[in-house]
Amino acid sequence: MTPRRTFSGTVTALVLLFFHAPLIVLVANSFNASRFGGTWEGFTLHWYTDLAANREVLEAFGRTLKIALLATPAATLLGTLAAFALHRHHSRLQSAHLVCVQLPLVLPEILMGFSLLLFFIATGWGLGITAIWAAHVTFCISFVAMIILARLQDFDFTLVDAARDLGASAWQVAWRVLLPLLWPGILAGALMAFTLSIDDFVITFFVSGPGTTTLPVQIYSMMKTSRSLPVINALSALLLFGTILLVATSQWLTRPPRRP
Amino acid sequence: MNKRKFLRSLAATTAIASCDRHADPARSGPATLQIYMWADYIKPALVQQFELQNKCRVVIDTFDSNEAMYAKLKAGATGFDIALPSSYMVKLMKEQDLLSQIDRVMVPNLVNISADVASKVHDKMMTHSVPYAVGHTVLAYRKDKLPKPEPTWATLERPEVKGRCTLLNDMRETLGAALKHLGHSINTRDDQHLAAARDLVLRWKKSTVKFDNEAYKTGIDSGEFSLVHGYSGDLFQVVSDNDKVGILVPQEGIVMSCDEFVILRQGQNPLLAHQFINFMLEANISAENMQEIGYLSPNKPALDLVSRDFFDHPAIRIPDEVKAKVEVIEDLGPDLPKWTKAWDEVKAG
Repeated sequence: MTPRRTFSGTVTALVLLFFHAPLIVLVANSFNASRFGGTWEGFTLHWYTDLAANREVLEAFGRTLKIALLATPAATLLGTLAAFALHRHHSRLQSAHLVCVQLPLVLPEILMGFSLLLFFIATGWGLGITAIWAAHVTFCISFVAMIILARLQDFDFTLVDAARDLGASAWQVAWRVLLPLLWPGILAGALMAFTLSIDDFVITFFVSGPGTTTLPVQIYSMMKTSRSLPVINALSALLLFGTILLVATSQWLTRPPRRP
Repeated sequence: MNKRKFLRSLAATTAIASCDRHADPARSGPATLQIYMWADYIKPALVQQFELQNKCRVVIDTFDSNEAMYAKLKAGATGFDIALPSSYMVKLMKEQDLLSQIDRVMVPNLVNISADVASKVHDKMMTHSVPYAVGHTVLAYRKDKLPKPEPTWATLERPEVKGRCTLLNDMRETLGAALKHLGHSINTRDDQHLAAARDLVLRWKKSTVKFDNEAYKTGIDSGEFSLVHGYSGDLFQVVSDNDKVGILVPQEGIVMSCDEFVILRQGQNPLLAHQFINFMLEANISAENMQEIGYLSPNKPALDLVSRDFFDHPAIRIPDEVKAKVEVIEDLGPDLPKWTKAWDEVKAG
């Protein structure tokens, strides 16, 4: 092996280790009889049965999932449209638009959370599920738009011209040329939005109302007082498994068609 | 299954899932009591018992710091009936007119609250707040690493634990411990007292690995640390699970914190709120609850009902001779900058 390959190999191995070692520890600790996970005290499924009985954690998890499932399509749709507008048209108005879309990416979360809180109260909208949903859509749009914009930048628009030449209507072009080709980008954006919505803490804390505690908010609070924190390890292990399944499915759906 | 089939069935399941709409608890049906507190800080079976008795629903939401909870309520978040802030936050919430007065007639069980705890918290007459759970800041040590432990803050300077200690990353707690060791009040405003406490913490810092509020539990459990400064509620769990860990209650005095029920002015259901507080103060309910959550409830008759193991647990029971020297953190008001300056010097030193 050349020194260069050894170097890149080592770096890759280290990066993978730092990324995944904590996950392995977490999964291992979800089966650890020790509450604090400092030492291994034997295998147990105790935390999983505890999790199944923990009404509050499960309710918070269901709520979080519901919000993410509802926020993702809205953010994906709006983000895709924004990306199109930003890519196709160039004017002073669009520059302002770009700044608006990028703003949530650079704005400190706490600022956004608190201003949204003040906004929802001042307008009489009130706090709760719809406020959380609106807040999540707001910041997810930016991420989706940026991902799809990057995709559009190396999109071959001659394909669109070709389709028009061959007699396709604007709708046909959109449905049969643009969307299928942009699909991987849109899916990547949607997955990003879904993940961000699931684990957002700061903004969600501020805009949640009575009866709408989400999983991250619940976990942060449990770190302070709970005696059953390891149920979170169990839940995370299950979530991890679900995510792997989801990503694998999305890769299967977006894999390039096999050529005969 | 091919892709198209898979996607179609996926779409069908989402459509079904979205039909199953949950009824909004706040809108109709039985009355709902909204509580804003720390997570896992109450026994769920007791909440259900209250729901059955009063034919109502109880919804619990959680916060992770007093300050965040305060910021949100102060900004105008409404709908919560009861909150559970710590003592020092009660004062601020009262001053900001967020609380409504407690109607003593509706809470006859208020007499159960132990007088020596009530005399230490901010609202001594319990006009706006009712003590719910008490925690102390103490030391925990490894029995295998520290021979002949003595209940004093000076243990932090023992050579056996050098390089294996942690102190809380909390200005009030850590400077407070030093002030106690020097024989001063933890709420002192005296510059000389503060300077002496700063120098003492700087000395302790030499044998300390880090200032930490979370990882010390795992660290003392695994033996990575030999002596930690921590909250009794956390250490209750460690000591119960691991017999190599012991508790030291420094006899110079310790810091006590108390979480208290308050009724929020903006709440929808003051009647249920009073009933709930009264319910939680019943001796047998309180006894059952404190053994579940691992924090002492300052409920006198309830203490006769708890198990011996719980009552004598080192993280629960504070020796009588220390009790008199226990103090609660008070708001520093305009003197806060003095403290932050001393603390910054500790962190930088």
